[in-house]
Amino acid sequence: MKIGLEIHVALPTKSKLFCGCSTEQVDTPNINICPICMGFPGSKPSLNEEAIILAKSIANILNCKIRDKISFVRKVYFYPDLPKSFQITQLQESIGYEGLIIIDKGKRINIRRIQIEEDPAKIIRSEEYSLLDFNRSGIPLVEIVTEPDITSEEELTSFIFTLKARLYYLGIDIDREIKADLNISLGKERVEVKNVTGTKNLLEAARYEIERQTELISRGIEPTKETRSYDEKERKTKASREKESDEEYGYIYEPDLPEYNIKNYSIRETVDPIEKAKELAEKHAYNPKIILEAIAFDRYALDLIERNEEKYNFNSLMQAIMEIKRFKIDNIDDLSLKMLLEEIEGGFQIDKDTISSIIKHEKVKHSDFSQEGIDNGIREFIEKNPDILRRYIKNKKLADYVAGEIIKRYKAKPKEVLKRTIEILNSMTGQK
Amino acid sequence: MSSYIEEFESKVKPKDYYDRLYDELVRLNPRLNAFNALIKPDKNGIPLSVKDNICVKGIEATASSKILKGYIPPFNATVVERVLKTKRFSIIGKTNMDEFGFGSFGINCEKPAKNPLDEERVAGGSSSGAAIATALLKYHVAIAESTGGSISAPAAFCGVVGFTPTYSVISRYGLIDYANSLDKIGFMARSADDIRVMLDITKGKDNRDSTSTDSKIVGLHHKKLVIIDELIDKVDEKIRSQFFEFVEKLKNLGYTVKNINLNEIDLSIPAYYLIAMAEASTNLAKFTGFKYGFKLNDFSKNYNEFFAEAREEFGTEAKRRVILGTFIRSASVKDKYYSKSLIIRKELIDKLSKVLKDAFLISPTMPIMPPKISEANSMSPVQNYATDILTIPPNLCGLPHISFPYSYSNGLPLSAQIVGSQFNDYGVISFVSEWEKNFEYKFKYNIGEI
Repeated sequence: MKIGLEIHVALPTKSKLFCGCSTEQVDTPNINICPICMGFPGSKPSLNEEAIILAKSIANILNCKIRDKISFVRKVYFYPDLPKSFQITQLQESIGYEGLIIIDKGKRINIRRIQIEEDPAKIIRSEEYSLLDFNRSGIPLVEIVTEPDITSEEELTSFIFTLKARLYYLGIDIDREIKADLNISLGKERVEVKNVTGTKNLLEAARYEIERQTELISRGIEPTKETRSYDEKERKTKASREKESDEEYGYIYEPDLPEYNIKNYSIRETVDPIEKAKELAEKHAYNPKIILEAIAFDRYALDLIERNEEKYNFNSLMQAIMEIKRFKIDNIDDLSLKMLLEEIEGGFQIDKDTISSIIKHEKVKHSDFSQEGIDNGIREFIEKNPDILRRYIKNKKLADYVAGEIIKRYKAKPKEVLKRTIEILNSMTGQK
Repeated sequence: MSSYIEEFESKVKPKDYYDRLYDELVRLNPRLNAFNALIKPDKNGIPLSVKDNICVKGIEATASSKILKGYIPPFNATVVERVLKTKRFSIIGKTNMDEFGFGSFGINCEKPAKNPLDEERVAGGSSSGAAIATALLKYHVAIAESTGGSISAPAAFCGVVGFTPTYSVISRYGLIDYANSLDKIGFMARSADDIRVMLDITKGKDNRDSTSTDSKIVGLHHKKLVIIDELIDKVDEKIRSQFFEFVEKLKNLGYTVKNINLNEIDLSIPAYYLIAMAEASTNLAKFTGFKYGFKLNDFSKNYNEFFAEAREEFGTEAKRRVILGTFIRSASVKDKYYSKSLIIRKELIDKLSKVLKDAFLISPTMPIMPPKISEANSMSPVQNYATDILTIPPNLCGLPHISFPYSYSNGLPLSAQIVGSQFNDYGVISFVSEWEKNFEYKFKYNIGEI
């Protein structure tokens, strides 16, 4: 199996690639537009240099070779979303080439090329007609083209995860969903699934194609070279009406833009979350996967870890991080963190009330119940629910349920409560 | 000859000056087809005309194409902006041209332009209307544009001064593109001094045109003139002999003249047309009939049918260039034609730069006298393109050049073209200034005389 991807990522610049229009996502159509991104006769593109810095930075995190001199081309085709009937993009002199991402299990995925290009307008289709929103026209994109090095669904998942995590750390808004063309062949011929939006759909489209092509091959049918599209509702890929031919775009140099020497453009400093997770795991003898999961799309979590890894027990700190993520706390001060760690290390259950107390720097209320108090609580609960004893004899797991209720009620330490619950249940039912 | 602009500014204008000027042009225009639109000027400055492929905010710009009928640009071209900022000019109209600049005679459009000196003959193109307006009006300058000779050719045929700057010296923002790597906005006037005024006002870097430059333009007035034999060989016998008489006069004025051979110059026509058509076919792709200009209102069609039908509005020459240009760009022949042409252009720039280091290139501007409109209509495209042989080399190489009349024959002007090295724009202008000291231009019309 061979899978190659062409992934489009929107760059978080303030203004569009070739004009001053805002890139902000707005609901009102056709307000962030001007003669340039509408392709009015007489208008001309001026390159947004912020896009170069970002594209160069992406090329850098994908370990690409970066060209000192870049130029643009016109890719000509007729489509209603393309205001000039050509897209300004890059070809031979693209910003990055020959890159590499290492994904899970050390698998190497080569990057063929990274290029800067402009996004077309958005087509809003309905049964009777289509509408065009040019707010999106001219948004800067980078297209990342991989070699067909991905050979399984797991690798595809890992590749997308790795790519998105690195982009996230570069400050790329990954909520603005990526768009991709998926080239996938289990047989001899390449099948291209075009314009898949979003990671989830990309994985589903791949899964569907793998099944479809496997099934064909099992029946002795060779999958044919074709272009398909992904139907989100039916979760299927479908043959496109587009004719399959080597596309003829009639590329020429974009004569309105000079060759740019970008040698002196800066590259944004960034962190590789995968490397970072490995480093931390080695240092603290911890599971790297858990660290990566915590920090992959959460810069704040990484900041907290790095600020506190020397101060606290790393296991407890990681548990605290999980709680902070679970309760979506976006800013925790040092004292609150310290209080949270005390709770964790004390073996207490963390709930909403605990969090609200520690945020306000208020003492967390625990039931101050003595052993006797808790025992009474357990007995009281059983007396109110007499059925429990009969059921317990058949199913010892019921102790977990009873203990859970007591923990909730008394905010007591879970381990102890469970131990006492079992002891009491056993003694009341005469078991051992 | 001094500056008409300054002369005009020093004079007291009659109250109804601009109204009478407008009325006179309204009366003459149907005969000559100089203007696509006449505008009642605001009453303050010297009359200025703008070629119809250059955007003036709020005024229809069609580039003489039916497909742009109704296109009203919401912005000024930078060149227009810079000129208007001086408050010394009044726009009187948008001038006629070959559709999108595709032509050498001014007849590839709805209303063929006529030469005011002999109305049976062509005015030259593509900036036909700019040349006619300059030939008609005593006080006036024209903003024109040249891709392969569109300023020199009509200036030569109508007997006015036509200047095309070094590529990149004047911003192209607001120009409806023909071939972006070749397009240059320039001027026509009745004296070299007026051209200099226009260049002073409009030159220089513009952030809205990334190819514009801040390079200091210079004024080296060389005394050495170079004639390329391969070019002169292609000039009509009669014009050639008159041109050599002119060259003798220049020798008497202290110029030295040297003949050289430059075989590669013959490649300039194919190289030029291949690049120009390749770029033009991409520029024309945007005209699909639904955002501006000509609009189709039948939305029952699918997009392919819709835009194909809209593009029926293109004239014959525009269609030819779309088809040829698309072919030239196609993957199977691109290296053979387009890529090779880029190499030839570079080679020619290198060769000519060496020649022009301490000299000007001189030649007649056109190899023929202005043909009758009927004759021009019966020429094949290839014959037609061949008449650009003298204007294409400086245009292909982006070198500054200027056309001016040096003699008259049966009431028609004989014009020569001076080419300078890159950024020696003031040099070629000052050559003509010098020449004007010894020669008086003849104008049949002096509309707006005070």
